[in-house]
Amino acid sequence: MIDSEPLPRGAMASLPAGSVRPGRGFWRESWDELRSNRAGMASAAVLCLLVAIALAAPAVSAVVTHYGPTQQDLGHAFEGPSRLHWLGTDELGRDTLTRLVYGARVSLGVGFLTVAIALTVGAAVGLLSGYYVGLLDDVLMRVVDVVLSVPPVFLYILMSILFRPNAITLAVIIASIGWAGLARLVRSEVLSLRSRDFIVATRSLGARDARLILRHVLPNALPVMIVAASLGLGQVVLIEAALDFLGLGIQAPTPSWGDMLSNAQVYFVHSTWLVVLPGSLIFLTVLAANVLGNAVRDAFDPRLRRF
Amino acid sequence: MAGYVVRRLLTAVPVLFGVTLITFLLMHFTAGNYVPGLQLDPNLKPSDIARIRANLGLDRPLIVQYLDWIGIGALFKAVGLAGVLGGSHNIDPGILEGNFGRSLIDGSPVLASVLGRLPNTLELTATAIVVGLALAVPVGVVSALRRGSRLDQFLTAASVAGFAVPQFWLGLLLILLFSVEFHAWGLPWLPSSGAVSPLGGGGVVDRLQHLALPATVLAFFYLSSWSRFVRSSMIETLSQDYVRTARAKGMSERRTVYVHALRNAVAPLVTLIGLELPGLVSGALVVEVVFGWPGIGLLAFQRALQYDYTTVMGITTFAAVLVVLGNLLADVLYAVIDPRVRYS
Repeated sequence: MIDSEPLPRGAMASLPAGSVRPGRGFWRESWDELRSNRAGMASAAVLCLLVAIALAAPAVSAVVTHYGPTQQDLGHAFEGPSRLHWLGTDELGRDTLTRLVYGARVSLGVGFLTVAIALTVGAAVGLLSGYYVGLLDDVLMRVVDVVLSVPPVFLYILMSILFRPNAITLAVIIASIGWAGLARLVRSEVLSLRSRDFIVATRSLGARDARLILRHVLPNALPVMIVAASLGLGQVVLIEAALDFLGLGIQAPTPSWGDMLSNAQVYFVHSTWLVVLPGSLIFLTVLAANVLGNAVRDAFDPRLRRF
Repeated sequence: MAGYVVRRLLTAVPVLFGVTLITFLLMHFTAGNYVPGLQLDPNLKPSDIARIRANLGLDRPLIVQYLDWIGIGALFKAVGLAGVLGGSHNIDPGILEGNFGRSLIDGSPVLASVLGRLPNTLELTATAIVVGLALAVPVGVVSALRRGSRLDQFLTAASVAGFAVPQFWLGLLLILLFSVEFHAWGLPWLPSSGAVSPLGGGGVVDRLQHLALPATVLAFFYLSSWSRFVRSSMIETLSQDYVRTARAKGMSERRTVYVHALRNAVAPLVTLIGLELPGLVSGALVVEVVFGWPGIGLLAFQRALQYDYTTVMGITTFAAVLVVLGNLLADVLYAVIDPRVRYS
């Protein structure tokens, strides 16, 4: 029952110099660790494939399926898979495969954009808040508290009614809440960095705040941000799909997986396919994003680093 | 202890103010200058519209409207300062007095609608939390005790998968299987929507049948996240010195695990469950919509589609107050369980 225990902190220092692996640097080591994680790499491959499909959607529509995403064919509604429609058709005779492929654009596009916005804002707030502490920190962190206190579902609903979102506004809406958690995370990392010797030393050499933040604090806070961003992607895809499903996200007739499910809900006695397919793709995307996120966390989070 | 509670209460106050400010500003930018139908009525002169707006107090400065809305207006009035707020209109009680506004559609008080739906939502979420917890603890403990085994790997994979399943999709699949297909196969089937049968419903069995599917979806989600938590917490606890001491004393493995380790491993769950308290009200929105469950989430969703801003704002504020109180309660409970928290 006795597990091998990790070495206590500081144990490295007491080891004879020759027994320590030659340093490969943090990034090199993390990258190697990530690449040796099979589940993580498989997930990355799945995500890359989905991105490729999303980017190639018009080509797939023109060359493979020969149908447009909103092209109706009322004479062939609710058909099962056939040579003409590989994955069947929906209530308006629209080709399911074409719509699924276009749906990937919405899910992944909004997903990546949201993470990018939330990360940029969250990192900026976290860096400023953690670096300058004092009044600025107090004000910013109270704002974060407030944003995290309102149940997000209601804010999404309100803002969706207000903005009638397209892909970009939808990303802004989801990011307008997502940044807060990231800001809190980055701040606590910066707080622990700012009193370290190397920052104090650099400041004593006369480095200005901007240089300290951008050249010294930011790179050291980067691992935490990378981990948070990769774990956030799956969440964002889920939220986006749920908003589409509720009719509050991307507006019809633009095909999205959530919207397809919402249509299928009405007609699913006619066609089980229409329920199973879009949901499976959401599930697959989120699963791949989460597994990759876990792998990135294991590889990049310095606090989990095994020596 | 009292000092700790007071300190936590004081930090909650500015947050609550911020929450009401955000909801108020959103409402203002969405609907602030809008009184339903006014601009569309050809019989109204601009001066009439201005008069109606003035009567409603919409011509006052934003800050005054805000103070009035949260209920400071009535406070001013009580101490004879109503003149500061301007206008001769009747000052409604505000949020501080428990008035969360009136519906734009039928004028009914928001709080009454929310309280009317609250029992249904609580029935759904409380069931899900209890079921999720009852399953998560044993699953997490078994995983931790057999760390690395096939069973542990399976449970880990299942929980990672459970985390990635969209709730609304799981709901649709369950409806498809247990309501549609079971019905088609002539098996006993479960109702797919509502909380009770429209005709002659309302008995215990009827309610449980309606509760089964939506509660399963929610409980599945809780199970996925909490079982991971119990597992890692249990693994950490089992490596503590006092567990080794207990074993070294010759205490039975069963007693070591279930009496000494389990209690300490599960204690932090209190915080997680406390964080779910606001979810008692809002977390079930998507599930309520899929299953037509007449709870607060469905109310907010339906009213939002009807552009009933004031109701949605009222519900949002109400839920936000619950979030702050839920966090507070979780912190206090945790301080009761773990005395170290109080003194840090």
